Amino acid sequence: MPFLNALRWIERSLLVTIFLSMVALYFTSVVTREIGGTFASQFAWIEEAVRLLNLFLVFLALGLALERGKHVGVDTFRDRLPGHLRRAILKCIDAIGLVFSLYVAWLGLSLVRFVLSTGQSSPTLGIPMGLVYCAPVAGFLLLSLRYGLSLFGVIDRFSAREETV
Amino acid sequence: MLIIICALALFLLVAGFEMFLVLGIPALATKTAFYSTLPDAVIVQKILGGIDHSTLLAIPFFIFAANLMGSGQIASQLIGVVKAMVGHTRGGMGHTVVGGSMAFGSVSGSAPATVAAMGRMVYPEMRKAGFSEKFSLGLLVSSAETALLIPPSITFIIYGWMTGTSIAQLFAGGLAVGLFLGLAFCIYVAIEARRSGTKSDPRLSWSERGKVILDAKWALGMPIIILGGIYSGIVTPTEAAAISVVYAIVIEMVVHRNLKFGDLFDITEKSAVATAIIFILLAMGGLISFFVTLAQVPMQISDFLTAINAGPVEFLIVVNVCFLIAGMFIDPNSALLILVPPLFPVATSLGIDPIHFGMIVTLNISLGMITPPFGLDIFVASSTLGKPVMNIVNGVWPFVALNIIVLIIITYVPEISLFVPRLIFG
Amino acid sequence: QEYVAKIGHLESTQQSRHVHLEKVAQIVSEETDGNVEFQIFPQSQLGNQRQMTEGVQLGTIEATVAPAAFLGGFNSAVSIMDIPYLLPNDPEQAEALREGEFGQALLDTFDDKGVVAIGIWPNGRKSFTSNKPLADISDFEGQKFRVMDSKILIEQFNALGASAIALPFGELYTSLQTGIVDGEENPLDTIKSMNFYEVQDYLVVSDHGAMEDIILFNPTWWGNLPEEYQTVITEAFQSVVPELTAHKAAAVEDALKTIEESGIDVRVASEEERADFREKMFDPAAAAYKEMAGDTGAELLEIYQAQYDEVSQ
Ligand code: NA
Ligand code: NA
Repeated sequence: MPFLNALRWIERSLLVTIFLSMVALYFTSVVTREIGGTFASQFAWIEEAVRLLNLFLVFLALGLALERGKHVGVDTFRDRLPGHLRRAILKCIDAIGLVFSLYVAWLGLSLVRFVLSTGQSSPTLGIPMGLVYCAPVAGFLLLSLRYGLSLFGVIDRFSAREETV
Repeated sequence: MLIIICALALFLLVAGFEMFLVLGIPALATKTAFYSTLPDAVIVQKILGGIDHSTLLAIPFFIFAANLMGSGQIASQLIGVVKAMVGHTRGGMGHTVVGGSMAFGSVSGSAPATVAAMGRMVYPEMRKAGFSEKFSLGLLVSSAETALLIPPSITFIIYGWMTGTSIAQLFAGGLAVGLFLGLAFCIYVAIEARRSGTKSDPRLSWSERGKVILDAKWALGMPIIILGGIYSGIVTPTEAAAISVVYAIVIEMVVHRNLKFGDLFDITEKSAVATAIIFILLAMGGLISFFVTLAQVPMQISDFLTAINAGPVEFLIVVNVCFLIAGMFIDPNSALLILVPPLFPVATSLGIDPIHFGMIVTLNISLGMITPPFGLDIFVASSTLGKPVMNIVNGVWPFVALNIIVLIIITYVPEISLFVPRLIFG
Repeated sequence: QEYVAKIGHLESTQQSRHVHLEKVAQIVSEETDGNVEFQIFPQSQLGNQRQMTEGVQLGTIEATVAPAAFLGGFNSAVSIMDIPYLLPNDPEQAEALREGEFGQALLDTFDDKGVVAIGIWPNGRKSFTSNKPLADISDFEGQKFRVMDSKILIEQFNALGASAIALPFGELYTSLQTGIVDGEENPLDTIKSMNFYEVQDYLVVSDHGAMEDIILFNPTWWGNLPEEYQTVITEAFQSVVPELTAHKAAAVEDALKTIEESGIDVRVASEEERADFREKMFDPAAAAYKEMAGDTGAELLEIYQAQYDEVSQ
């Protein structure tokens, strides 16, 4: 699956870049505050930047988390069921998860369009807030892709979980 | 209708749906059934709103730092120091978990961050020392609760603002109550250690201990940077978390030279995934809290209290029950915002001290972190340790019971909450 | 009830904004024979101010009473309120600006922002506190002050040679205690209710920053109201202003008493000192405002200047 591998590579690179940037920004913020004076005032935007970056970090990691079976859930009862019943439930979870994620992504898209139309921007950085709402849209699309792939048997996210325990 | 939605949630939970679906799908159903006139986009607005708080940022950074320390040598060296000091005592490792969580929780102010940071380090050691899986998991998750009680604590700051109570006095009271809770855990550890016959290491000589400490000198810089940085006013708890990441990267990559760039890449990504797992639950919690708020639950509680003409004893029972129920389903900080306004005026009219009431409320809030089904700390432990949720829930029950006993004592013996504030502020 | 409005705001239930929102709700209910009901959700139960304002645009909630300082991201023109010493110290002169041409022009800037702005409420003035002496204007140099997310407020502190440090409000108490920042600016009643005086040594009652509330409604909900109900609501909000001002003044006086009794150094800035502060801070802050708010901002600033000169004579 070259497409899936490329997607994973993009997700991983984005996550690593975002997370390390958050760390570096806070580090800079502390250092400039120690230097003080009006110089420190120039970095007042960092607080907001890290908060917004964290939103992208969270949503962009959702798909990978699902693929690897990392999301928490109570699977104790499910896994005691006889094989065919268990498999039916797993397909049911994938199908419902797919519909839910697509629906939320679609709602998110309408919110993005709405907020862009009102011209709301973030207070210090002046970034259009509509772009910030792209984070949940991307996150739920990535989730729906994984639910879909699992539903049609392309990836096996349930045995991925068992390996990690 | 409400019953159908609850049944739906229960079905999703038992069938093993991802927890964020267990929360999200019933929330969608609630929206459709009761708030159909609201624009649908509110769903996404509240999902994002649930995690768009600066105060939550300590969680990803401490997860990151803990993963770096665990993959490198810092964690094992820190544990080595602790074992050299207390490893020979019975149940020493258990007491270390309580003490470590109290120290770390004190500064981080976040129970989930405490579970995430402590878990990977101490869980394997508790098992090695002979504590059962059930007990180890329960202790780890519950002792993190002290983060909310031992100052500084955002919970007290919010409570102080809502009720006009002195934050300094709340901090003083919280110190006593937090230590009291820690003491209760230690007593339980001592009983459990005796009962299950845990192993202890041979006692080390002071020169042997000195060598262990010297070997761990760079690792010991970590707690010094975090605690020292915060108490000396150089960094906020959140910034301390970010700085600890920088320190861990430098020490493990440059000084210890046992992490390579590829490892850093993997650890960063793994930490991002762990963060996402926790935050998506907080996000769904934000959605549910919104509908609970719209339902104007506070008014119904006020009406109920008036109807039963509650005295102090009945009132405090109602308070504990309200928070216990709320804490099962919504995130504890939302419970604070929703429940304190209707309850606080009644508390003062019954002559309950605002500081004392703050302790009762915060103890309830921290209990909410570990009560199933929506016990955030349970999920954090599940994802950081890779343990099934049910194993952790099984381990947590005795601690929930212990917590309730502590809660009853704190509730009916106001002196525990009040003696430190009185000592300091007269 | 034919019309129900969920109204969200940030303050706690004892504070002036909430108390008078309850009063407005009562007046509106009486005068519309119970046909209009206001449900009030205090202390950010419905989310932070950004989410509540966005919720009003979206129609999730029907109204919010928002501090102007939190609205810059929605309407950069409103950030004019962040400029220090914008409103005259005299309450009547200030009210003249609010109710006059300037106030109307300010409300009009919301017209194309997806909300209906129906009024301005006073909500006190900010003062400075610090752990280092603030004996005169030169003492500010080198000190670190916490600011809200606002480019204008950053310029205000830069003008004094101080550092403007962004910190979340929830972390401010502990940050003042440990010394991450030296000081902060807030209205006296906030300094009391957030207990900041417990962790600060010096207070200068400077009244430099006007905290003004903008009353925002969802356009669809508002448009569906009969015109007479719109009038009832607008007038109800206006009618409580004298009471609100008195309530706030009493709260501020009470706060000042509590703060003085706590034993910290309290000093009321003289008229000359306030003039000095204005002289130093106003222009750099106004310049930052003009850069941010463009032509609309420049126009509003002109209207302001004309009316300010008129009323302060
Ligand atoms: Na704490
Ligand atoms: Na809970």
